[in-house]
Amino acid sequence: MRLHWLAYPLILSLTSLSFYGLISFGDEGFDTALLQDSYFYSILGFTLKQALLSALLSVGIAIPIARTLYFFPDLPAKKLFLTFCLLCFVTPTLIVITGLVALLGRSGFMTPWLDSFFNTFMDNSWNLYGLSGILIAHIFMNMPLAVRIIYLQLQTIPDNSWKLASQLKLNQGQRFRLIEWPVLRSSGLLLLCFIFVLCFNSFAVVLALGGGPQSTTLEVAIYQALKYDFNIPEALTLAWTQLLVAGGLYWLITRAGGLSWQSVESNQYLWRPKHNPASTRRAMIIYALSWCVLLLPYLSLLPGLFNSELSGKDLRAIGHSALISVALAVIAALLAMAAAFALLQPIRQAALGAQVKRMWLYESMATHALVAPAMVLSVGLFVYLLPRIDLERWGIIFVVILNTALVIPFAVQKLKPRLLQFDQQYNRLARSLKLTRATRWQIEWPFIQEIYLATLGLVLVLAMGDVAIFSIFGSPEWTTLPWLIYGYASSYRITEASTASFILLALCASFLFLLEKYTVSRPTPIKNKTPGRQPQYEGNTHA
Amino acid sequence: MLNIENLQLTLDGWPLRYQMQIDTGEIVAIQGISGVGKTTLLNLIGGYLMADSGTVKWNQHPINSLPIEKRPVSMLFQDHNLFEHISVLDNLCLGFSAAAPVDAIMDAARHLGVDEQLAKKPATLSGGQRQRIALIRTLLRPEPIVLLDEPFAELDPSTREKAALWTRAQAKLAGKTVLLVTHQDEDVERVADRKIILS
Repeated sequence: MRLHWLAYPLILSLTSLSFYGLISFGDEGFDTALLQDSYFYSILGFTLKQALLSALLSVGIAIPIARTLYFFPDLPAKKLFLTFCLLCFVTPTLIVITGLVALLGRSGFMTPWLDSFFNTFMDNSWNLYGLSGILIAHIFMNMPLAVRIIYLQLQTIPDNSWKLASQLKLNQGQRFRLIEWPVLRSSGLLLLCFIFVLCFNSFAVVLALGGGPQSTTLEVAIYQALKYDFNIPEALTLAWTQLLVAGGLYWLITRAGGLSWQSVESNQYLWRPKHNPASTRRAMIIYALSWCVLLLPYLSLLPGLFNSELSGKDLRAIGHSALISVALAVIAALLAMAAAFALLQPIRQAALGAQVKRMWLYESMATHALVAPAMVLSVGLFVYLLPRIDLERWGIIFVVILNTALVIPFAVQKLKPRLLQFDQQYNRLARSLKLTRATRWQIEWPFIQEIYLATLGLVLVLAMGDVAIFSIFGSPEWTTLPWLIYGYASSYRITEASTASFILLALCASFLFLLEKYTVSRPTPIKNKTPGRQPQYEGNTHA
Repeated sequence: MLNIENLQLTLDGWPLRYQMQIDTGEIVAIQGISGVGKTTLLNLIGGYLMADSGTVKWNQHPINSLPIEKRPVSMLFQDHNLFEHISVLDNLCLGFSAAAPVDAIMDAARHLGVDEQLAKKPATLSGGQRQRIALIRTLLRPEPIVLLDEPFAELDPSTREKAALWTRAQAKLAGKTVLLVTHQDEDVERVADRKIILS
């Protein structure tokens, strides 16, 4: 048996142990009475409502922005904007929350204007906390993701379609209906489902901006049931409900083909229909507004940073937490990349053999952590381990393990297309040339290197942002930066929270941009040989 | 000798059957209308398709149960013959169990007019240049059986003639047994000892 097969039992056993921990605890079963309780339905209803609204608004706002990016290829700093969109999606949630609180919170920069607006037109004052705050945060994080996906989908339209449309003198409506809509329709519903699942499982946003029991989601209710009431049957019932809804939707997404939101930008298609001056002006306004909206929460951290007079104790705490966060994230990211690569081997084999069902099965197993809520996994494992291990002492190891498990799906999803592309293009050739495993790797690595390192940056940043797992397994001496920010923000120490958030943001952005720069500037490891020199592929075949 | 004995395969509901003998060192052109199964025959010999029944024997030893890596075959596909992300010379040096014959590669590249392209990436080359480079590697590899699937399709008439003559000379020099799929009669005349028309 190949070693990569071990990856499957390892990740599945982690989930199994978590659920076993929950199910077997105190021999308590489900709380079926909860299913008749209006409390349950109000939580479920709110969870569905906020997820649906977040998804609809994110996609609805993203469409005009993505169309602007697509129809105006020469927009200034467009590539930076797309990278920034990725940063917004992977930015640790607590940075966004701190930024939004500094911008729109009780003492936020924009709150006086919002207050007067609400007082004038709605006879009410502005309040960030509750559904509005949750929606704003979810839109801020997911709308940029939607922009990227829709933009990439639009890019698949061949130039000839636009040339033909111009030649046939089709009007704007006809162009949209005949050319854009078929592309948007295929990805739009999947995108809605995907963002719905992400918001359905949202934890930190609801915890920080929910503002009370009337704005509680399943994930937060599970946390409260366990952390405050230690009510296992209730937590279990809520967890299964969450898993069924999120899992069902994710199943639909994967069955329908999935989304390629992280693909590299293609410059293959560059011919676009000409636009009149009015639509050009409109596009410029949309583009400028998009920049402003995405930058504002980050910029609102700056005054707190400049005005801060942090005590030595706070500075030490922030520095210490930053180091811990980076160390934990690096370990989790490296483990996740190795695991993802191993998990992808059987998927590649199945793809080569055109075994669609088998491929789907492996992929579902490899990415199942995307729908198993972080809170459920953490709590289940915590309950299972509590009587067996000194979690006060060893809990931090499980922070790393669970973080690894939760970022594996992202690594798998991002690496898969490139590896399958390699196999599709070159597997026949590699086998024909009878390459040894080492030589094949020498060929494969330069092909996947760029995407591999970019994925490493992505999972590193995702792992750095964890709050849910740390809230269960963490301990004060291992406080991570996001948890420290949460501590500051929840005690209204916005200056400290802003400083810590800014440092976390700087770390995340550095990792993303440095790894991107490294991959662009670094030459392939296979050196070009000059004629007459000894070839480097000596003995590179099985023969 | 390459013996193809009652080799049968049903592809997309279409039954295909092959029966032929090719002497060691012989060059045989395979012809026939599109869809008749010319490429399928090469894929069966190379191991990229598995036959429903029948045998492929090389020097009396059945090879059709061997994995691709164990078959004494060097094959030129219709496309995707080069790794796009490594240099042409790196590509040319692949597929040799011992040291790659750099001198022979250089001579062949000069002869076929692609010696200026060796340091480049394949993506920057024309279709004809890529085809000549893949042809060089396929012929210079040490495998005794060479399968060529439309190797001159993208070449202009003069280069086509040069490449065809080089292919024949190289195959005869190294004693290769060659199966060449082509639609062009002039390729048959320049390269092959005989032709088999599939129907």
